[in-house]
Amino acid sequence: MNTLKYSEILKVNREMGRNLSDKRYEIVVLSNIITHMLNDILEYYVKMENINAHVKSGDYDNIVQESEKFRNSNLVIIFWEIANIIDGMQYKANIMNNDEIEAALSKIKAEIDFTLTNLKDASLVLFNRFSSLIFNYKTLNVNNLDKICENLNRYLEQKKSSNIILIDTDRVIAKGGIEKSLDFRYYYSSRALYTIEFYKNYAEYIKPIILSANGKAKKAIIFDCDNTLWKGVLGEDELGSIEMSSRTRDGAIFEEVQHLALELNKKGILIGLCSKNNPQDVDEVIAHHADMKIKDEHIAIKKVNWGDKISNLKAIASELNIGLDSLVFVEDSDFEANCVREFLHQVTVLKVPKELSEYPNMLRGYLGLFYNISESKEDMVKAKMYNQQSKREQEKTKFSNLDDYLKSLDLKLTIHIDNQTIISRISQLTQKTNQFNLTTKRYTEFDIKKFMEDKKYKIFDFNVKDKFGDYGITGLCIVLVDYSNRRAEIDTFLMSCRVIGRKIDFSFSDYIIEHLKELDVELLEAKYIKSLKNEQVFNFYERIGFELINGNESEKSYRLKLSNYRPKCLEYIKVEDGRKN
Amino acid sequence: MEEKIKNIMSSVFEIKASKIDETTSPDTAEKWDSLNHMILVVALEEEFNVEFTGEEIVEMISYPLIKIVIKEKMENQRI
Repeated sequence: MNTLKYSEILKVNREMGRNLSDKRYEIVVLSNIITHMLNDILEYYVKMENINAHVKSGDYDNIVQESEKFRNSNLVIIFWEIANIIDGMQYKANIMNNDEIEAALSKIKAEIDFTLTNLKDASLVLFNRFSSLIFNYKTLNVNNLDKICENLNRYLEQKKSSNIILIDTDRVIAKGGIEKSLDFRYYYSSRALYTIEFYKNYAEYIKPIILSANGKAKKAIIFDCDNTLWKGVLGEDELGSIEMSSRTRDGAIFEEVQHLALELNKKGILIGLCSKNNPQDVDEVIAHHADMKIKDEHIAIKKVNWGDKISNLKAIASELNIGLDSLVFVEDSDFEANCVREFLHQVTVLKVPKELSEYPNMLRGYLGLFYNISESKEDMVKAKMYNQQSKREQEKTKFSNLDDYLKSLDLKLTIHIDNQTIISRISQLTQKTNQFNLTTKRYTEFDIKKFMEDKKYKIFDFNVKDKFGDYGITGLCIVLVDYSNRRAEIDTFLMSCRVIGRKIDFSFSDYIIEHLKELDVELLEAKYIKSLKNEQVFNFYERIGFELINGNESEKSYRLKLSNYRPKCLEYIKVEDGRKN
Repeated sequence: MEEKIKNIMSSVFEIKASKIDETTSPDTAEKWDSLNHMILVVALEEEFNVEFTGEEIVEMISYPLIKIVIKEKMENQRI
């Protein structure tokens, strides 16, 4: 949202000047009150969307004639205030008799007719509805002023051509509140009525229409799956404990979110998935979970893999054949959200709020991004077409610049060995970690305690921090050392999925191997044992530099001569030895 | 504060901030009409987080007078 002060907006507009070389988007505001403050505010808001807008006012209180003069503008905005429709209407109306009201109405309707006729071929017109709200918001009875507004609005609805959109300024006023939207100090002297805050809210409110008219409406909403479409993490949580129905508090929130997505889909907006999961897990939920409202038929594209989101979002845009600036990406992790913001600034990123109950309304607040002037049936057909097309083109791309992003994170790894204070967390990690887990051995607290007392076992754990926050104890390695033969074996190596994708595994391995060298170990052995969920680490030891001794699809054995090990030495991950604190 | 006032006047009346001095008033600034006066007033109000009375608005018709009114406002706020 825009929080620039009015004086700053004026300054920026003056500095940017008026770019005459580019095609201009001419906006004219016609009104029977003074609305000049809107001009700079709206011009700035629209320019920030890379539309070369130029906003000016027509002559004061001369809507009929000016609508003839400016009919060829790109956009005409009409502020026809009830209070100045006849001087002092806000108080005169309520003592008028029926004949007088009829006479007033027919005069105004005649003016409306002229204006609508003048503008019937205009490119686009925003006509504010008549409103008595600012005078009557504390009034209990329906009075003449209310009735006149209602009558005129009905008339507008019947008479307007399809290029005219009626704007409900009451909603704009609701955003800022009556008191902050109105300023009567200038009303009696200058017929100015609204505050800067009102005009900012007005500009924000109508902006989606202008974006849509300029072909800049969003076309697709892409969800990360876990904790954006349902509560829970596939692969970590049981399928049955994934929540997305109103039977549970959090589930109700996700059920609402899924319905909001379907509402968009109905209007022709594409739904896509971009998540780090095993594709089978996600397919399983979509196909078989009874509470899942978004089905395959609604989903235009799926990029469910362990690749980075930047490449995946690029692939989504290219396969759907739309620009990156047409994508809205919904993500629950700060890390991923900021990564996308940093590298794909064209993509609008919505982060699931920390306070989950705000999630549906947050999303609702952004539905304007998808505003489409002509919500046609064609769009619904289009959504289905895309759906099939994307299934044909499944390709993978790699983002070459992930390192640059990781560098910007200030990653800090703190490693402890045999840390007695977190025995229960260590046990919990072995119990709960499924995906980045090489051997999937489950240990109780008692087991861990035993290991810690046994000199042959070394338990390394790490804590990760970056500039966005602390992820806690999220990785573990248990090594069994055979001192007499100068050998060691990795019994367990695991990382929580919250921290994968940052190359922390490399720095962690560097540290462990360095430490084993200090213990005089020469040869390190390791195993990969396949489970239903650890496919993503199938080649982990190859990447680290281990030598494959033998193996098949379900189990592989490795060996590493420590003298041959080449540390990755990633400069951007700061490693701290927990013992030294 | 003076800098801020000058910058705002500069944007509203489209004159250089360096050209604004004790003599700047509707007589010397071409674009200082009643409409732009209103725009100046609301911009100043938002910038300094104050609200002028109708009487003050009428008084603020030169750069020195604007300074005096705002200074008074800000001092009263502190008390």
